[in-house]
Amino acid sequence: MVGPAATLTPLARADGSASYQCPSTGSNILGSVNAPVELPGRRDALKPEEATVEVFVKPGTAPAGVGERYVEGIIKGVLGRLILGRERGYPRRGVVVTLATVGGDSVGRGDSYLTLLPALLHTALLALLSASVPLSMTFSATVLAVSDSGEIIREPSTEQAAAAKSLHVLAFSSKGHLLLNESQGAFDFETWEKVHQRALAICHGTSAIGSDGDVAMVEDVDGQPLEGTIRETIEDQVHRDYAWKIDAV
Amino acid sequence: MASAAPSVPPSLTLPPSQFARLQPHAYLLAHLSPPASSNQPSIRANGRATSQFRVTSANTGSLTHTNGSAVVRVGDTTAVCGVRAEILPTDDIASWSVSHSSSSMNKRRKLTNPAQKPTQEEEDPEDETHIQQLNLLVPNLSLSTGCAPGFIPGAPPSALAQSLSHQILNLLHSTRLVRAEDLRIWYQPPSLGQEDLERHNESEQMDVDAERGEEVGKDKEIKAFWVLYIDIMIISLAGNPFDAAWAAVLAALRDTKLPRAWWDVDNEMVVCSDAVSESRKLSLRGLPVASSFCVFEADAAAGWRAVIIPDAEEEREIEESARKGIQRRWILADPDGYEEGLTQERVCIVVDKEEGTGKTVIVKMEKNGGWAVDGKELKALVDISAQRWGEVKHILEQC
Repeated sequence: MVGPAATLTPLARADGSASYQCPSTGSNILGSVNAPVELPGRRDALKPEEATVEVFVKPGTAPAGVGERYVEGIIKGVLGRLILGRERGYPRRGVVVTLATVGGDSVGRGDSYLTLLPALLHTALLALLSASVPLSMTFSATVLAVSDSGEIIREPSTEQAAAAKSLHVLAFSSKGHLLLNESQGAFDFETWEKVHQRALAICHGTSAIGSDGDVAMVEDVDGQPLEGTIRETIEDQVHRDYAWKIDAV
Repeated sequence: MASAAPSVPPSLTLPPSQFARLQPHAYLLAHLSPPASSNQPSIRANGRATSQFRVTSANTGSLTHTNGSAVVRVGDTTAVCGVRAEILPTDDIASWSVSHSSSSMNKRRKLTNPAQKPTQEEEDPEDETHIQQLNLLVPNLSLSTGCAPGFIPGAPPSALAQSLSHQILNLLHSTRLVRAEDLRIWYQPPSLGQEDLERHNESEQMDVDAERGEEVGKDKEIKAFWVLYIDIMIISLAGNPFDAAWAAVLAALRDTKLPRAWWDVDNEMVVCSDAVSESRKLSLRGLPVASSFCVFEADAAAGWRAVIIPDAEEEREIEESARKGIQRRWILADPDGYEEGLTQERVCIVVDKEEGTGKTVIVKMEKNGGWAVDGKELKALVDISAQRWGEVKHILEQC
């Protein structure tokens, strides 16, 4: 399975940015983060002791609609708990995350956003890291489809997702917590537990769930865990950024 | 001023309502974990147990100008839902002639196949895509009604209102609640006798006759669709708008009656019957019921102090040891507005039960905004939601 490809800081003017391509779902997302910024017209309803996280999702071909509002809410919920909004310089300021779909299928009215969600989440995370926003943990996310025959498909294409019985997006923190779960379509709890286990293996590798003979096989199918891919992307970037310093030594 | 000074000194104790406003987190925490010496049970500030839902009532058919309507009240959250049906003639669908000609050919091929049973044909997924492709269901949720102080009446729809509209539309599509067959208006060409036709127009319409003779009885044609506009107004918001809105949609759709409609060949338009006795109800697929939960954390700062977040493994151990001792977090069912303001983590589970077996089917499961709820907790919440399903079913069947 071909892993995702990501570039850090492709945009020069934003505080942090990332571009992310997922080959299996065909999505290509460009994200930028500006933080901390002064927000105009702060309302009393927002918490004064924390930074406000704002997320904007721009679909590829159409103006943003209700579906984007919904997915913005999900991403805001995940990032809101990870960003350390009380660090010095952040309270009463804003963290503005903008995610634009550059390539891949766009989502129509009333369609589920779940196939795009992991790509959006990863882009947001990489852009936040690129902007050096303080975070309590990192995370990795994946989307799984359960077909009619009960087979679990990792990162389904749009057609596979449309034909699937249920779709699941799960995000795990770098410490192994279940951060996000979005499931839709008919399924029972046993199916979800299988999906959960598979997703944990995809995100964290099999070491996280113990050395079971059956599970070890899954590792070969899924290749490198996503958590590692994201970590490597950051490491590469840091290596490149500090090449002058490393070379000098 | 001078005369007021010698009067009674201000009292130093606060009434509970003041305390609740000044220290909301401490107030709710004091209710949930009362000191051991006080011998009081752990209870929420609103007097409910942690897994207890608010009193729910539903009333249908209140709006006379709609095809179906419902008012659902969950505690102080009230949702009004009206379903209005409008006719969408297939002539007005730009892509209809193209897409339909191909699909009708498919269908004809299927019908000639003797193995194809009519029941299977009804469940054909191709047929069901009409609802989604042609946008036959249009839900819209409005919060700009002065329902809560945070929402300015008359303002453009807030992000919350938009995302709730999307959630409802998405759930309508993914549960396939409304059958596409109910929304179709068919036209069956009259099957005139073969010899009848021949006698009347022997010479001019030879070709037409030959064509008709072949397809008589089969050539039913969709002439129009019903489009259901599902408008939801939250007229009072005290937390958990989704459960109330979805229950209102469900009750209103159960109440919806569509008049008998047919294609009038002479006028070339769809005509509806006035008679109430001829109208028919929608036959919905199942009864998915939504239950929402939120997680209240004892330590208000747990979300942002980086150093103290334990691993998932450690977390489980802490959980085990804390079983007897002090509880760190509470999962509250059906949160009201006060509790929603104090919590970040949300869980929303929509369940249905299979008709015959009574097996619980999860239709949607969302969890976001924290890490307190994992597999074990979700399993417990699904059981609570299944219980809630029974209650809501009872309420909806009575109204």
